[in-house]
Amino acid sequence: MTPDLKVKLGSVELNNPIMTASGCCGYGEELAQAFPLSRLGALVTKSITREPRLGHPSPRTVEAASGMLNAIGLANVGLDCFISDKVPFLEKQDTTIVVNVAGSSIGDYVEVCARLNDVPRVDMIEVNISCPNVKEGGIEIGTDPTMTEKTIAEVRRVFSRPIIAKLTPNVTDISVVARAAEAGGADILSLINTLVGTSIDFNTWRPRLTNNRGGLSGPAIKPVALAAVDRVYQSTNLPLIGIGGIASAMDVVEFMLVGATAVQIGTSLFKDPQGPVNIVRDLKEYLKQRNLSSVTKLIGQVRKY
Amino acid sequence: MSKLKIERVAVRNLRHLSRDYYSMCLGPWPKGCRSKPGQFVHVGLPESDIFFRRALSIAWVDPDRDESHFIFKVFGRGIRLLSRCNKGDEVELLGPLGVPFKMPKKNETCLLIGGGVGFPPLYFLAYRMIEKGRDPRTIEFFYGGRTSEEIVERTRLRKLGVKFRPVTDDGSFGEQGLVTEAVTRYLDSTPPRNPRIYSCGPAPMLRATDELARRYDIPGQVSLEAPMPCGFGVCLGCVVPLRAGGNARVCTEGPVFEIGEVLL
Repeated sequence: MTPDLKVKLGSVELNNPIMTASGCCGYGEELAQAFPLSRLGALVTKSITREPRLGHPSPRTVEAASGMLNAIGLANVGLDCFISDKVPFLEKQDTTIVVNVAGSSIGDYVEVCARLNDVPRVDMIEVNISCPNVKEGGIEIGTDPTMTEKTIAEVRRVFSRPIIAKLTPNVTDISVVARAAEAGGADILSLINTLVGTSIDFNTWRPRLTNNRGGLSGPAIKPVALAAVDRVYQSTNLPLIGIGGIASAMDVVEFMLVGATAVQIGTSLFKDPQGPVNIVRDLKEYLKQRNLSSVTKLIGQVRKY
Repeated sequence: MSKLKIERVAVRNLRHLSRDYYSMCLGPWPKGCRSKPGQFVHVGLPESDIFFRRALSIAWVDPDRDESHFIFKVFGRGIRLLSRCNKGDEVELLGPLGVPFKMPKKNETCLLIGGGVGFPPLYFLAYRMIEKGRDPRTIEFFYGGRTSEEIVERTRLRKLGVKFRPVTDDGSFGEQGLVTEAVTRYLDSTPPRNPRIYSCGPAPMLRATDELARRYDIPGQVSLEAPMPCGFGVCLGCVVPLRAGGNARVCTEGPVFEIGEVLL
């Protein structure tokens, strides 16, 4: 018996629960040199903004214990170039395409999402209301339940296919923002974005990032992410996408047991571009050994004390 | 089939050179032998808590023995752990990566300007040019370090037959001063025919080289170093600003750039 890896996110069925995380695979072209993108459950693009952005000056990444800090600053080609230059490549890929959207005002989000609604190949959007590295928009929205609900509701008006709200862990209670996103009309929640952090050079006394702080990602944040997914699973009815330090099939199992329907692989893609393919293979093997017919049988099945 | 695949390759030899400098030989690694001067590999330690691989320039390859050679300088914990590898240990490799140096025209005099750990890609370039038939005496190899101990692999370099011009900050070996000062003196005293610059080294040295090259109107290329989480163009962590506007990824559009192309 071959276990069934298909999962459903809202109205969209994924071949398997393994997605890439935004900002970790560009627009797919580079990763396609590692493996056929059809092996992914879904590809999530880098954040797209209305105008092109260069991002922050280097250094904008620095290593941390079991992870990294980044303050890229939403560098991207901008909406027009994305549609003209990047979508044609994505159109040829046999996988679910999720476009991550960022903005510095609600108007920005609405404009980008409205345009993307007219691009049929964009199966879903992921609304980045949680970037810690830009002054306006991003985390400013995602830490405020009222703004979160409003932003998602406005985007809901202009985008007819499933909407994922990507949540920040930099709040006291993530379930409050999760419920706000649900009230605004999000179909799916993805969590967590990076944790705010920084690193200082003890010789020069300067931050190791020109943005002075950044977002922590990688295996270092996995326990935080698991607890966040667990918490949100208890408090909303939406399907969840777990993100945070996932590097192996066993990590995926952990996230699904606390309630994730799918997961995103982020920082560990840098370490091993073939990672998603190995994870899919190992996940299948795990399910076989456990005699489970479908990966969905893991969702929310943690046996708590 | 896949271009982006991490391979495990054994350490054949790892030797302390001087101070923080080490020489390392990896093999068998067929892909490595196809690498070109200026390209690099991304090296990681399996089963280590060091999260990222490190970019190391290739110093030379030996296709007969199916091995690739590296010279690196220890700074930070990741490279220190690499320096403690034993013969037979395996490292993780991604590569060869990046854009190589452009080969010079036949009638050009090559000025190779290296500082400290910028030596390996320039050595590989000289080695390859000579292998392809260039007269070693048309290669002026300026090699700077703080002290004599930083001028490593001299015997190997002398064997190539290039014009070896060592320069040290303290005058403990070769000319005293900065390597770019030595180049300036050379250009003023014996202006070469059709000079072309190739340079790799610390940021202040590259800045000085870039200024010098533009002042004397000498074409050429510089090879840059940057913190590099992924090495294959997706993380955008290693970008440098371009003079013409916009950014370029050191791992993908570089590490070799034209003189004047990058705002150093």
